[in-house]
Amino acid sequence: MSRLEAKNLSKAFGGVQAIDDFSFCVEERQIVGIIGPNGAGKTTAFNLLTGVYPIDRGQVFLDGKELSGLPQYKITQQGIARTFQNIRLFKGLSVMENVMTAADPYSAYNLADVFMYSGRKRKREKEIREMSCNFLKLVGLAGYEEERPENLPYGLQRKLELARALASNPKVLLLDEPAAGLNPSEVQDFIRLIRMVHDQFALSVLVIEHRMEVIMTLCDNIYVLNFGKLLASGTPAEIQNNPEVTTAYIGEEDEACLQ
Amino acid sequence: MEYIIAVLTFTGITVIGVLGSYLVTGLTGLFSFGQAAFFSVGAYTSVMLVKNLEVPFLLAVPAAMAVGLLAGFLVGYPTVRLRRDYISLVTFGFGEAIIALLNNSVNLTGGAMGLSGIPQYTNFTVVWASVAVCLALVVGYKYSKYGRQCLALRADELAAKAMGINVNRIKLVTFLFAAAMTSYAGVLYAFYTTYVEPGAFGWIVSAEWIIIVFVGGINSLTGSVFATILLTGLPEMLRFASEWRIAVYCVIVLLIINYRPIGIFGEFELTFKWLRQLGKKGVKAS
Repeated sequence: MSRLEAKNLSKAFGGVQAIDDFSFCVEERQIVGIIGPNGAGKTTAFNLLTGVYPIDRGQVFLDGKELSGLPQYKITQQGIARTFQNIRLFKGLSVMENVMTAADPYSAYNLADVFMYSGRKRKREKEIREMSCNFLKLVGLAGYEEERPENLPYGLQRKLELARALASNPKVLLLDEPAAGLNPSEVQDFIRLIRMVHDQFALSVLVIEHRMEVIMTLCDNIYVLNFGKLLASGTPAEIQNNPEVTTAYIGEEDEACLQ
Repeated sequence: MEYIIAVLTFTGITVIGVLGSYLVTGLTGLFSFGQAAFFSVGAYTSVMLVKNLEVPFLLAVPAAMAVGLLAGFLVGYPTVRLRRDYISLVTFGFGEAIIALLNNSVNLTGGAMGLSGIPQYTNFTVVWASVAVCLALVVGYKYSKYGRQCLALRADELAAKAMGINVNRIKLVTFLFAAAMTSYAGVLYAFYTTYVEPGAFGWIVSAEWIIIVFVGGINSLTGSVFATILLTGLPEMLRFASEWRIAVYCVIVLLIINYRPIGIFGEFELTFKWLRQLGKKGVKAS
C-alpha cells in the first residue's frame, strides 16, 4: 500500500481541463517530484490533494484511507502538510506563533481551561512553545522567534513555511516550488534541509519545482505534467533522456527553420 | 459627582460591548455590524423575565446570556461559512431585524415606547467588576490557541485551513463568546438605566463599537479599552461636545486612518513585562 495515492484525478475550470486523469503514488519515505511547464496543472494537483478545490473525478488515498471529499483542515490533520508557492505566512503573528499555530489543532485543552487560566493550559502552551522552538532551531531560525515573518529575508521565510508545515505533524509533505526566489547557495542549503527533515521525520515528500538541480538531486521518482496530462514518469535519469519531455519544455526543432 | 459616576458606569458597559466587537472584528477579522443586537437581546430578555415573569435577577442574567448564545448560534452558524463582506451584510440585517421585532411586538416589548420602571440592580461597582472579569476572559482567550488561530485565519484563511485549523469552528466559538458577553453587557445596561427602548440598540451602536476598536488599534485590547474611555467617556464629560460626538468620531477616525492606519496602539499591549522593562529603563536613565 502506498503512503499517498491519487487515482485518475481530474479537474476542469470552465472549459479548461486543468488536470486530466492524473494518477500517481508516493511510497513511504520516498521523495517524488512533479515537473512541467508553466500552467501544466502542478499547483492545481496540490490544491486537489489538500482539498482547496473539490475534485471533479478521481480519488486520493493516504495509507489506503480515502481523503477526497474531506474538508481542508481534516486532510491536514490526517497527515498532509504543505507549503505555498507564493509564501503565505500569518502576518500579525510572530515567527514563533506562526509555527505554534500549526500545532494548535492538536493541543489538548479547551475553553474552560482558557477562561479559568488552568494549569493544564499553561502546561500545554509551554509544551507547544518548546516544540515550536525545536522546529525553528531545526530549520535554522533560532534567534528569530519574536520577529515578524514579513520582516524576514525571503530565504528565511521559506524556511519558516517549512517549519510551520512540520509542526502540523505530517506523514506527507507537499512542497510547492520551495526553491523559487532563492539564490544558488540558498538552493543547496534548502536541498540539504529537505533531505534532513525527510530522514529525521521519516517523511514522504512530494515536490513541485522548476529548478532541475533540486528535482534531480532529491527525487527518487518524477512525474511530468503537460496541459494537465501525465506526459512521462520515471527516475531522474529516465526523465532526462525522454525526448517527449524535452519537447514539452524546449519545443520541437522546426525543419523549416533548419534549412 | 453622581453624574461623573453615571458616565463612568456607561463607559464600563460600553467597554464590555467593545470587547465583544474586538473579539469578532479585531481579533478574527469578521465585520459584525450587528453586535448591538446581542446587547438588545440581553437587555430585553432579562427585563421581560424579571418584570413579566418575576424571575429573580440572578437567574435572569444567565438566562439572558443563554438566549444571546442561541441568537448568536442562529446567526453565526450559517454566516461563518460566508465570505467576509457578506458577514457584515448578514449581521447588519440581523441587527435591524431585531430592532424591527422589538418595535413591532408591542405587547411584549412596549414597541417604540420601550419598557420602563426596571429596578436598578446594577451600579458602578458591579459594572466595573464585570469589566475586570470580562477583560480577564478576553485576555485569556487572546493568549491561547484560540486567539492565535483567530489571528491566523484573519491573516490568511486559506493557509489557516492548510495548517489544519477548523476555521468555521474557531469563528463560531469566537462569535458565540462575543454574543454571550455582549448580552451580559445588555443586562447591565437595562438594570442600570432602568429603561430600555429599541432606538438605543441600532446599527449605529454596532458601528460605534467597531470604530472604537479601529481607533484603539485593530489588535490591541489596551487600545480598545483606552479608545472606549476616550470616545465615550470624554465627550460626555465635556458636555458641550456631546452633541458633536458623531462629528468628533468622524474627525478622529479620519485622522487615524490617514496618519496611523493601525490605530492608536496598533498591536501594542500594556503588560506587566512591558511595565517592568520600562521601570528598568527609567532607573537606568535617572
